Amino acid sequence: MSTAWFVVTRLGRDRSALIGLVLIALLVLAALLAPLLATHPDDVFELHPSERLRAPSGAHWLGTDRMGADVYSRLLFGARITILIGLIAVGASLVIGVPIGLLAGYHHGWASDLLMRVSDIFLAVPQVVLAIAIAQTLGPSLPNVILALSVTYWPWFARVVYAETRALQKEVFVESTAALGASPWRLTVLHVLPNIASPIIVRASIGMGFTILTAAALGFLGLGPPPPTPEWGRTIAESREFLPDAWWYAAAPGLAIFLTVMGFNLLGDGLRDVLDPRLRRSPARDG
Amino acid sequence: MRLLALALHRLLWFVPTLLGLLVVTFVISRVVPADPVALVAGETATPAQVEALRRQLGYDRPLPVQFVDYLARLARGDMGESLFTRRPILDDLTHRLPATIELTVVAMLASVLVGIPLGVLSALWRNSLLDHALRVLTVSGLAIAGFWLGIMLQLLFSMRLGWTPLNGRLPGFPPRGITGLYLVDAALTWDWSTFVTALAHLALPAATLAFPALATLVRFTRAGVLDVMQSNFVLYERAMGLPRPLIVWKYILRSALTSTVTQIGLLFGILLAGAVVTEAVFDWPGIGTYAVSSIVRSDYNAVMGFTVWAGVIFIVVNLLVDLALTLVDPRERVS
Amino acid sequence: MTHGRSWLALALALLTVALAPAAPAAAQTRFVFANESPYDTLDPHAAFDVGRVAVRLNLYDGLYRWLDNPPKLEPWLAESYTVSPDGLTYTFKLRHGAKFHDGTEITAEDVRYSAERILAMKKGAASLIATMIAPGATKALDRYTVQFTLAKPAAIFLAVVPEIHVVNAALVKKNEKDGDWGAAWLTNNEAGSGSYVLDRYDPAIGFTAKRFASHFMPWGPKPIDEIDFRFVKEDNTRVLGMIKGDYQGTGGYLPNDQVKRLREAPNVKIVEQESMRIMMFQINNQRAPLTDVHVRRAISYAFDYDGFNKEILGGTVERNPVPIPNNMWGVPRDVKGYSYSLDKAKRELGLAQAKVDRPLTVGYLQGFSQTEQAATVMANGLRKLGLETKLTSEVWPAMVERMKKPETSPDLVVYWISTYYADPNNWIGEMFSSNQWGTFKASSFYKNPKVDDLLETALKSTDRKVREKAYQDAARIVVSDAAGVWIYNTKYFGPWAKNIEGIRFSPIGNGQEIRWLHYK
Repeated sequence: MSTAWFVVTRLGRDRSALIGLVLIALLVLAALLAPLLATHPDDVFELHPSERLRAPSGAHWLGTDRMGADVYSRLLFGARITILIGLIAVGASLVIGVPIGLLAGYHHGWASDLLMRVSDIFLAVPQVVLAIAIAQTLGPSLPNVILALSVTYWPWFARVVYAETRALQKEVFVESTAALGASPWRLTVLHVLPNIASPIIVRASIGMGFTILTAAALGFLGLGPPPPTPEWGRTIAESREFLPDAWWYAAAPGLAIFLTVMGFNLLGDGLRDVLDPRLRRSPARDG
Repeated sequence: MRLLALALHRLLWFVPTLLGLLVVTFVISRVVPADPVALVAGETATPAQVEALRRQLGYDRPLPVQFVDYLARLARGDMGESLFTRRPILDDLTHRLPATIELTVVAMLASVLVGIPLGVLSALWRNSLLDHALRVLTVSGLAIAGFWLGIMLQLLFSMRLGWTPLNGRLPGFPPRGITGLYLVDAALTWDWSTFVTALAHLALPAATLAFPALATLVRFTRAGVLDVMQSNFVLYERAMGLPRPLIVWKYILRSALTSTVTQIGLLFGILLAGAVVTEAVFDWPGIGTYAVSSIVRSDYNAVMGFTVWAGVIFIVVNLLVDLALTLVDPRERVS
Repeated sequence: MTHGRSWLALALALLTVALAPAAPAAAQTRFVFANESPYDTLDPHAAFDVGRVAVRLNLYDGLYRWLDNPPKLEPWLAESYTVSPDGLTYTFKLRHGAKFHDGTEITAEDVRYSAERILAMKKGAASLIATMIAPGATKALDRYTVQFTLAKPAAIFLAVVPEIHVVNAALVKKNEKDGDWGAAWLTNNEAGSGSYVLDRYDPAIGFTAKRFASHFMPWGPKPIDEIDFRFVKEDNTRVLGMIKGDYQGTGGYLPNDQVKRLREAPNVKIVEQESMRIMMFQINNQRAPLTDVHVRRAISYAFDYDGFNKEILGGTVERNPVPIPNNMWGVPRDVKGYSYSLDKAKRELGLAQAKVDRPLTVGYLQGFSQTEQAATVMANGLRKLGLETKLTSEVWPAMVERMKKPETSPDLVVYWISTYYADPNNWIGEMFSSNQWGTFKASSFYKNPKVDDLLETALKSTDRKVREKAYQDAARIVVSDAAGVWIYNTKYFGPWAKNIEGIRFSPIGNGQEIRWLHYK
């Protein structure tokens, strides 16, 4: 409990981490309160062809898109999709990656090597490409995007957990606890997990940003949720043929992505600085 | 000795890892809903003809048999033919590789030549305006969607200002080339107008690709330099009154460079992943667009071929980076 | 002079030579066309579509050729033809002295080989031609006479003959591999006789070709010496390129916003022509609940035609309520078709026996944003009726694949049917004959014996009046059955460089035959 308080106060003093928190809060608010905050909540489905491609104005704060729908309102509903994808994909990656990393780190020998090589396999091809392949195979849809991202992101968790577990094993307290006869289970849950919680949390925060970017890329390539879903990446792709005149159409969703990912990155950096300064400068830890 | 052990250890796992990668890709590529054999047979083929073609291409045999057959041919250097272009995959890949290499190398150069000095300056002038500005840049660099950055750059520099072309490598056909790298070919043949045109076409995609790499480089160079600056021996030398520029040159730059070397692997990963999306935005005829169009067209062999190529490169680069890490900093624990 | 200075002089000289612009060679005229589809094959028998027509029009020749608008069939490689009284035997007399690019003369044997090749390769126009002539039914009677024997009389045979592009039989045979009819080789090379000779080809870039001076058709006074057809995917790039003068021509079916921009460009002119290219939703008539005519009618009333045609497409297209282009003969002029009315749609749904209790799949084409927008408009209308939809997209070849079987085809698919040959059969005949199931035009999977009869009659008869009545009657039934949703007929708005003259637009070639063009 005191650790949590410690984290919060230290974080509170880090200005950029605070900015990150604010941005994330804005995203969550936008997503939760979209129906209330939107000026044209029906425009998620509704079309107004006679009002297409209007510049930002009092009636439409961020202009209208190719179907005449309000860009601002669709952006808010797009936030829901963004959060959903991010949370579930990162959550699933965590659930898959952490146990694998623990197993690999705890054991020595070929089993551990095998697990790490399996994670290498998934890292060998750029995540985007693998996600594209999976999304294309299964068909573009929201669940499939989440699946594709989870399947390709878990190795990052596995790697971090593996490295930390190995490092911890050398620590005296672990050796002595094991010598005292504590079961591996007990060891893991009571001693190892709390100590690797920090890198996992940091990784999760950075992972949110990374996953959201990849999800947007998939949406941009047309492999995300189908129309008329107001997914941010897809909206950017739609806007291209109307540039440079309807610049707001492309600028708004892009900025939304930027601020969201920035929020998670800043928070992740701040958490890392607070929770484990040792990690701050390790080059191999990022991604 | 440790190096050797590590290298051997990795090499031992090289083949199984690659194999695993191939299995995964094989399974994914064969599970596609669209039937590429029917696509190739043509719009008007009857089911009987499609089956005949399937038999001819060997796709009617059980999957494990097909896989083993693929491996056997791979060992002979035969990646098979693209179902669509009817050309050997290897030819397709080599044909498109120069485009991606050129883009990636130019982006890498740009990020290194700009990033390292900025990182050093940022560390030396810590908390200055420049430092703060750069730190904003660094955080942005990893938060901007690459495809969006590319589109915005197009919007500003191509459409509004007209300074650069919109996309592609060159308008139309290139002058007959030697390496396929247009900058190099143009330089070798003294064709400066093509050189300038190719550079103009490279400007925006390379900038787009370089941005996240640049941000990462600045960040880690800065961190590395700060590390060194606070290390004991530098403090000692400063206490001894050694002039600052000398300290900078002697220790900091060198450590910055070594930190870069270890970053190459990471950079490479960022650049390769970014290349796929950047190529899509700029219609760049490289490996990225080849991979995406092969996947979208269910071109089995092309997808496998690309995966083999990407996998080999990745594993090799990873190995080299890990080796370099061990060489450079024995304290860094590597699995 | 010292060594240093002589080197300097040499360097300076080299520099000057290198940087000085090359003196223009004797006024070689070039024409660059930006195409929205890639030229992924050069084989004239492997493709039948409008997107890649430039290859066939410029590198190859057929017996006859469609020219101008309204399209007329003109003798090309053949000078004349005769038909036997029973309508089964067509005999063509070739012109003498027409040459292939390698200098050899074009003979009836080349025509015979080409016809057999199309049938054997089973791609492109083969499905159409195969319904009329079988392998072995083509004979070279003598050096300049070729004869086709049809299985039964077919009014459209002559209309389709231009698609039998004549390849250099000897050259292709020389490059055959494992009995592939030279398919692998002809994908990347050419064996033609057309107005232009292939120079360079790269499927990612396009192709260039040089004028074939000894083409059998006379050349005008200032013909174009070199043509360059490039694959330029993005609309924006093509538009900007036209404005900047990088391209002298590009496809004429751009979105209205882009056409407006081009009209304002000083060096671009827009050639406006009535074309024949229908955009429609095919309804899968075989899948419940679409088997019920009331459901289909409800869907037909649920699409906002005006919103789409007038607002989104800016009025550049004409509402076309019948599965035959408005400007083609055979259209029943009294049929008004369906309009956007949610009331009428709800009434029809009320009359339906079948219940719509699942989301309807609406398929559109990847890379063609107009189809995506049409699908969105349709989904919106259906949603207002309380019907759920699921949008799905494929690249064209994959969609064609899905549309071969009623089980795999989406409930609704939106795309265009262009003019492959100028005859109502190109649309209504191929769309609604039950014997056409499995072709991409017939993904309505419609089966009505009465309509089959009418279409068969129209195909067999050579009397224009009989055919016209048959098509009109068939159209009336099909519209009443709401077998599909027909949205618009395109107008062609062709962007060309202002100083280009001589453009001969035809809905089949889309003006991409460069031999007629010259600079002012």
